[in-house]
Amino acid sequence: MLQKIDEIREQFQSELKAVSNNEELEALRIRFLGRKGSIASAFSLMQEVPAEQRPKFGQTLNVLKKEAEAQYEALKSKLLKPKQNKNQLDLTLPGRKMATGGKHPLLAVADEIKAVFTSLGFTIEDGPEIETDFYNFEALNIPKSHPARDMQDTLYITEDIVLRTHTSPVQIRVMERQKPPIRMIAPGRVYRRDTPDASHSPFFHQVEGLVVGEGVSFADLKGVIQAFAHRMFGKDIKVRFRPSFFPFTEPSAEYDFSCVFCRGKGCNVCKGTGWMEISGSGMVHPKVFEAAGVDSEKYTGYAFGMGIDRIAMLKYGINDIRLFFENDLRFLSQF
Amino acid sequence: MKITYNWLKEYIDVDLTPQALADKLTNVGFEVEELIPLLQPFSGVVVGKVESVSKHPDANKLSLCTVNDGAETFQVICGAANVAEGQIVPFAKVGARLPGDFKIKKAKIRGVESFGMICSKEELGLEKKSEGIWPFEQAEPLGTDVFEMLNRNPDYIYDFFITPNRPDCLNLIGIAREVSAITGKPLKMPEVTIQEDTSAEIADFIKVHIHDTEGCQRYAARVIRNVTIAPSPEWMQQRLEAVGIRPINNIVDITNYVLMETGQPLHAFDLKEIRGKEIHVRASRPGEKFTTLDDKERSLPENTVMICDAERAVAIGGIMGGQNSEVSPATTDILLESAYFKPTRIAFAGKKLGLSSEASQRFERGADPNNVLNALNRAASLMAELAGGHLVHGIDDVYPKEIKPARVPFDPEKINRLLGTSFSRQEIKEKLTRLQLNVANDYVEAPTFRVDLKINVDLAEEVARLVNLTNLPTNETTEINYEIPQPEIEQRINFVRQKMLEMNLQEAFSASMLKQSEAALFQNGELISILNPISDDLTTMRPSLLPGLLRAVNHNINRNMTDVRLFEIGRIFTNYRENNLPDQPYSLAMIQTGNRQPEDWGNVSVPVDFYDIKGYLENFVSKIALDNFAFILYDKSSYFMSTETVALLVKDTVIGFCGRVEPEVCAAFGIEQAVYAFELNLDALSGLINYQRHYQPISRFPYSERDMALVLDDEIPAADILNEIRKHGGKLLKHLAVFDVFKGDSIPEGKKSIAIRLRFQSLDRTLSDKEVDKVFRNIIKRMENTFNASLRN
Repeated sequence: MLQKIDEIREQFQSELKAVSNNEELEALRIRFLGRKGSIASAFSLMQEVPAEQRPKFGQTLNVLKKEAEAQYEALKSKLLKPKQNKNQLDLTLPGRKMATGGKHPLLAVADEIKAVFTSLGFTIEDGPEIETDFYNFEALNIPKSHPARDMQDTLYITEDIVLRTHTSPVQIRVMERQKPPIRMIAPGRVYRRDTPDASHSPFFHQVEGLVVGEGVSFADLKGVIQAFAHRMFGKDIKVRFRPSFFPFTEPSAEYDFSCVFCRGKGCNVCKGTGWMEISGSGMVHPKVFEAAGVDSEKYTGYAFGMGIDRIAMLKYGINDIRLFFENDLRFLSQF
Repeated sequence: MKITYNWLKEYIDVDLTPQALADKLTNVGFEVEELIPLLQPFSGVVVGKVESVSKHPDANKLSLCTVNDGAETFQVICGAANVAEGQIVPFAKVGARLPGDFKIKKAKIRGVESFGMICSKEELGLEKKSEGIWPFEQAEPLGTDVFEMLNRNPDYIYDFFITPNRPDCLNLIGIAREVSAITGKPLKMPEVTIQEDTSAEIADFIKVHIHDTEGCQRYAARVIRNVTIAPSPEWMQQRLEAVGIRPINNIVDITNYVLMETGQPLHAFDLKEIRGKEIHVRASRPGEKFTTLDDKERSLPENTVMICDAERAVAIGGIMGGQNSEVSPATTDILLESAYFKPTRIAFAGKKLGLSSEASQRFERGADPNNVLNALNRAASLMAELAGGHLVHGIDDVYPKEIKPARVPFDPEKINRLLGTSFSRQEIKEKLTRLQLNVANDYVEAPTFRVDLKINVDLAEEVARLVNLTNLPTNETTEINYEIPQPEIEQRINFVRQKMLEMNLQEAFSASMLKQSEAALFQNGELISILNPISDDLTTMRPSLLPGLLRAVNHNINRNMTDVRLFEIGRIFTNYRENNLPDQPYSLAMIQTGNRQPEDWGNVSVPVDFYDIKGYLENFVSKIALDNFAFILYDKSSYFMSTETVALLVKDTVIGFCGRVEPEVCAAFGIEQAVYAFELNLDALSGLINYQRHYQPISRFPYSERDMALVLDDEIPAADILNEIRKHGGKLLKHLAVFDVFKGDSIPEGKKSIAIRLRFQSLDRTLSDKEVDKVFRNIIKRMENTFNASLRN
C-alpha cells in the first residue's frame, strides 16, 4: 500500500512541474489536495491497510500531504507576485534621508583619551588659553633666557600675557588650589607661532597629565603610559622611553609606541622604524613644585603630555592637520 | 648637530656598527635624527686617463677628448674648461648611474658622438658646486672603480638632536665622552704640541683687559705670526663640509674644526687691525653700532659684551666677529681668542640682535670655562702645523675668578624612590663615575662642562639614562584616591555638548584666530590682538564662535554643499585688561542655512527660517532644564538682524542671542543665502543648568482637547497670548500648541487669526466635559477682554 503513496508523490511532482499559470495550479490543487483529490482518497484506503501497517501508512501519507501543500503554496506565491506589483512600493528606492550629525573627529578622539584616563582614576581639569607668563613659563622652570621663549615660538598678547604654548600651566593652577594627591589630565587648545601647512597648525591640542603624591615614581609613570597605549591601541602595543629634556621635569623622557599600523614591523607611516614618537614625560622638577607651593621633600610626581591631533591623525590615517579645522561636511560626515 | 663616524673614532675606539652606535646614543638621550652614508652611491665610474684634447668642430666651449679606461679608448665630449691632456679623471662610462639617479647614455652633441662623461665632484655628489672636472692628484690604476676607491673607508653622517641642557655634547669629544660612558672604552684626547718662539713675548703684542667681568668671566689670547693664508687641507675641508660648515681658509677652518672637536668657540683676528696692542672687554654703550663680518651694520642692544681694541669695537663677544678685523688673504699675524661668556648675556644679545651662530649657540647654553686653554692651544698648534705660523711665547689669560666644579647633593635612596628602583649605592656610584663625575659621600662633583647637573634629581636622570629607561621597572597597579572631585566645568561642557549631539547636529571645530576685519564684525567689548601675529589673517582672537562657523558655511557652500547645520563649543576672547587675563568664557554656537532637509525624491525642499533656529534653541533650553528663562525681542546686535533676533534671558541676565545673521555680515564671509544662528555664553549658564532630573507623574486618565481660533490685532505677540492662556488655564491645562497662524482673505486688515489647541488632563480622575468647558470658556473670555479677540467661526 505504501507503494501507492509513492505513486501519488511522483505523479504530483511531474504535474507540478508542468504548471505555468494560476488556472493550471488550481486544477492541480483540486486533483491532489481537493476534498476528492487523490491524497484525500488515499486516506480512505486506510481501512484496507492491515492493522499493524496502518500507523506507518497514515504517517507517510501525512508527510506527503504536507509536502504537497508546501510546494503548492510556494508556487502559488511565485505565480501571484507579478500581479501584485501594481500596488507594491519600489523597495529599491533610497530611503528618505534626514540630516544627521555627530562628534567632530578630533573631539571624538579626545573623548576616547578622556575615557581611558577617567577609568584610571584621573580628573579632567581645564585652564585658560590666554595665560600669564608666570603660569606658561616661569612656574614651569622656563626662565626668561630659555630658547623656548623665542618670539619665533610664542604668540604674545602683551609682554607678560601669552597664548599658552602647552597645557602644562594647568598643572600649576591645579597644584595651587588643591593639595596632593592629584591625579589629573587637562585636554585643551595650545598655540605656537607656526605657519600653517599639512603638518603644522598655529593652534593644536594637547592632553596634559599630572600625578602628585607620596612615593610616586617613574615606575608609576611607565605603568600609566603603558596602560594608556594598551587601552587606546591594543594589548600588543609596546612602549619605549628615551631620555630627553624638558625644563619642568627631571628625569625627562620621550615616549614612543610601536607603530599602530604595522604593529612594529616597519611601514611607510613609521618610516620603517616600527616606532611612532608620541610625546614627552618625566618626574615633576622640584622647582615646579616650589613655584606651585607643593612640598618637594614630601611629595613626588610625574607629568606627561600627548598631542590629540597627532593621535587622531594616526588613528584615522589623516595626513593634513588643516582638514580638522576646515569643517568640510564631506570630511566631518565620515566619522 | 652633525658629526661623522670616522671623525668620532679619532677620540674613542668604537667597535659598534654605525646603526648600533646610533641606537645606543638615542637610548642615552642623544637622539639621532638622521644617519646617512657620507658618500652617495654611484656606479659605473672608473679611473680614466685623458689621452687627447681637441676642439669640438662645431662648438667653441666644448672639447673633444679621448679617454682611456685601461682597456679601451673612448671618444668623449667635455664641457669643462679645465680638462687637459694627461689628466687622471673619474670617467663615467655609458650605463653609469650617478647620484640623483642620473644615467649616462651614448649621446650625440652637435653632431659628434660622445661615449661617457668626465665627472666633476659635484656630479659625484661630493660637493655642492664644482668649477670644472675633478682631476685626481694621485695616479690611480686605470679602470679602478671610483666609488669603491673613495669608499674604502666608508663614513657616515649623524645628525643629532642635542637637548638644550647638554651643550657639552655639541661637539665630538662630548659625544665621545658619552660613548665612553656607554661602552667603558677610554677617551683619546688629541695630542697638542706647542712649540713657541721664545724670542717674542705675548705681552709685546697684546694686553687683555676685562671691564665687564660679569659678561666675560675668562678671556685668553695667543698670537701666531707669519701664517700663510691658504685653503685648509682636503681632509679638514671634507670633515667640515660633512658636518655642514663651509670651508673658508686654513685659519678660519682651524677655529671651526677645534670648535666642532672641543665645543669651545674661538675667534681669529687679523693682529695688524688690532689697534694699540690692547683688548678691552666691555658692555656696549647706548646707541652703539657695529658692522659684523657678514657686512651688516647692527644696532647693539644694551649690555652686549663687546670685544674692543684701544680705539674701537672689533667683535660682538661670543656671537660674531667684526668686519674691521677679520682674517683676509693678506693676513700674516693672528690674534687668537678663546673666552668664556655668561650664557644669559649671550642669549639676550643674540635674541635682540636676531643673530645666532655656532659660537653663540654654545655660549648661550653654556661652554666650559676650564676648556678655554685646551682649545686655544689645540688651535694654535694646528695653525703652526697647517699654516706655517710661529707661536709667540705665552698666553694672556685673564680669569679673575676661577669657576669651580659644582657640588651636587647626592642621595642614592631618593634616587631609588624617584625611579622606583633598588640599586645599591655602589651600582649608582659606578654609573656616575663612568660619566666622569667624582662621587663623594653626600655629594657629587660635576665637571664644569656639565652645566645641567645641579640637584639630586639631575643625578637620578644620569642613572636612569645609563640603565636605559625602557629597562627601568614599570608599576602596573596603583592605589587610587576615590575622593578627588571631578571639576564642574568639565561636567557642564560635556552635558551641553551631549544635548546638542542628541539633536542630531554636526559638531564643528574651528580656528580661534581671525583676521582683524572679521573679528571687528563681532566686536562685543574690546578685541584681543596678537602682538606678533603669524600673518594678517591670524591677528585677532575670536570674540565669538560665529565667524568660525560662517567661514565653515562659506567653505561648504563654495563646494556645493548648501545645507549646513553645525554647532561648536569653545572659548571666546574679549576685554583686555592691563596685566590681567582677558575674559575667555566658553561659548556655544549653532548655525543653520539652506534647506531644512536634504534634497531628496521624498522630501520637499523647504528653506530654513527663523523658527528653525529658534526651535533648536527651545529644544536645547528644555533639554538642559533651564528655569525662569524668557525670550525677548532684541534689535541692538551689530551682527544679528534687528527684525529677526531674540535674546535669551535667564533671571534678568542675557545669556545669548538667536536669530538671522545680518546679510552684510554674511556677505563679508562671501555668503549670499540666509543664515540663522544662536550663540550662548556657557560660563553664564554655570549654576543654571539642572543636571538632576525628577520624574513627573504621567496621568493614567484620558485627556480632553479644545481648539480655539482667535482673531485679534496683528501686533499682539503670540507669546503674550500663550502666557495669558497659561495664566488662566490652571492646573488642568497640561499642554498648548499653536497649530495655525493665518492672515488675509477672510481676516480683516490689520488682524490675524491664531489657532490654538489646549489639552486638559488630571492626574487623579477623568475630567468631565462640564469641568473642561468651564475653564475653556473662562480662557476665551480673558482673550476677549485682554486682547479684544473674537472667536473665528
